[in-house]
Amino acid sequence: MRDALVIIPALNEEKTVGGVIRSILDAAQEVDIVVVSDGSTDRTAEVAAAAGAYVISLTVNLGIGGAVQTGYRYAKQKGYLYAVQIDADGQHDPADLPRLLAEARMGDADMILGSRYVQKTAYRSSASRRMGMVLLAAFVHMAVGYAIKDTTSGYRVVNRRTIELFSSQYPMDYPEVEVLVLLHRYKMRVREVAVEMKERQAGVSSITMIKSMYYMFKVSLAILLEVLRGRPLKGEGRL
Amino acid sequence: MNVYFLGILFSIVFVAAVIDLMRRRLLLEQYSLFWLGMGLVIFLLSVFPGVLNSVAVVLGIFYAPSLLFFVGFLFMLLTMLQLTVTLSRLTTRSVRLVQEVAILRAELESGESKKTSERGGDTNDETVQDA
Repeated sequence: MRDALVIIPALNEEKTVGGVIRSILDAAQEVDIVVVSDGSTDRTAEVAAAAGAYVISLTVNLGIGGAVQTGYRYAKQKGYLYAVQIDADGQHDPADLPRLLAEARMGDADMILGSRYVQKTAYRSSASRRMGMVLLAAFVHMAVGYAIKDTTSGYRVVNRRTIELFSSQYPMDYPEVEVLVLLHRYKMRVREVAVEMKERQAGVSSITMIKSMYYMFKVSLAILLEVLRGRPLKGEGRL
Repeated sequence: MNVYFLGILFSIVFVAAVIDLMRRRLLLEQYSLFWLGMGLVIFLLSVFPGVLNSVAVVLGIFYAPSLLFFVGFLFMLLTMLQLTVTLSRLTTRSVRLVQEVAILRAELESGESKKTSERGGDTNDETVQDA
């Protein structure tokens, strides 16, 4: 067994998940891959298994947070030291993975964030989307006290300590931004590293224009709540 | 038949219904105590309607039944909040269960293929020892 686990949450991504797994295995030999199929109704699980990933299939759809957390719980139980989150839609380039893992192994951060904005990369997005991201980044900056540029990036590497935290506490929907503030509350450090991001290869973003207002409200509320929680609370996240 | 008699009748039927639900194990004891208390309050207010009037006078409420509505409304509000808290806990628990079941099933399925090829004798030996 290797010491790093790549977690790929997938909901009906049969078209892209196989290619993502193969390119990860090409780019980085020192990782295991787990695909968490979040109640997929297509052949996601079969395609992923055939491409060489370990597949965990959720009986019912839990949403992105519940699916990702399944991966973290598996990583915790199996004793992995590092966990990598990569989207199944192919927008994250596995070529960056060895570099991100190496950054995580330096040990100065509890989470390495693959960021589109640290240096100039080829990534472009719509004006309204950029504005939303800038706004969220400003909120997060206020909440954690230092600048995180690409708060919505789903390309992340975490260490053992973060794996253990995420196993017990992980936001259920729209987790990317909220998690950054959660880590700050536990005095854990996030560091950004520049990566290339591609356009989605297939499928649609889980955040459509109609939902973006709700998204902004929900995420802002989640940030505010994290700030209100302050230091780790007694009985927090009790089942 | 006046409203007080109706109140007494209702509270008796209500308590009987709660007890029946408990009998069928459709309502846990921890929640039933609350409803039995509720039935008792309705019963007492119906038997001693003067109590409501006295309390209303003390609080400076001219129309006593409005006190009933006010208290009842607050009570329902708190009950619903408590219910959504319970619902949230149940949601968290079921999410955790789905996750654990999925992890275990994946292990079972990958383990079965391994067992037949690599360590087929292991489990059989243990059973023989136990017997």
